[in-house]
Amino acid sequence: MADSKKLVFMVTHGPDNPEMAITPFVMAGAASSADITVVMGFQGEGVRIVKKGVAETIAASKVMPLSELLNTIREFGGTFLVASPAIKSRGISEQDLIEGAQVVNASRFVAEIMSATNVLIY
Amino acid sequence: MAAVLTEAEVAGLDKTTVVDARGVACPGPMIEAKKSMSSIGLGEIMELWSSDSGTKEDMGYWAEMAGHTFLGAVPARGYDRLFIRRGK
Repeated sequence: MADSKKLVFMVTHGPDNPEMAITPFVMAGAASSADITVVMGFQGEGVRIVKKGVAETIAASKVMPLSELLNTIREFGGTFLVASPAIKSRGISEQDLIEGAQVVNASRFVAEIMSATNVLIY
Repeated sequence: MAAVLTEAEVAGLDKTTVVDARGVACPGPMIEAKKSMSSIGLGEIMELWSSDSGTKEDMGYWAEMAGHTFLGAVPARGYDRLFIRRGK
């Protein structure tokens, strides 16, 4: 029943707020395990999560580690979109990002949002 | 609320495989279920072990979204045994 469903998770927190950073990954992990298409969009401080080596440093109690969730979502076909201005303003280059992260601009985010079943902003 | 199965009901289920997700935090048990579901045939039953107390509440929602049927759970020593029939 869920084959055509798509959820977009907009992530705006990173190491500055570990609980808010990891919560969208918990939700996206649950969604992707149920065969729902997942798109994760990283903006603001959220872009730091997809910098190599950072996900492994973020954890919260009673949920899976963020890095494991990230790898699982990617394994299940999730898409990771990273805001170009947000990485540039933080001195993060495309080469600094994890495998599979796509650097995009506003229109790509809007296109994903407009085609989604629902959008969650963290 | 998850259906609680009796031991007799559990004994009557033709279980195909057991997936041990004990010690895995949310949403890990559902992820383990997805990873293992393809190893059983359509209509066959997976037995999933979870020590995460929320799993038995979540599993019905997960199964419905994923196209499977959650048959219910039975408590064991420190964990729950959950039974899911593969639907697709």
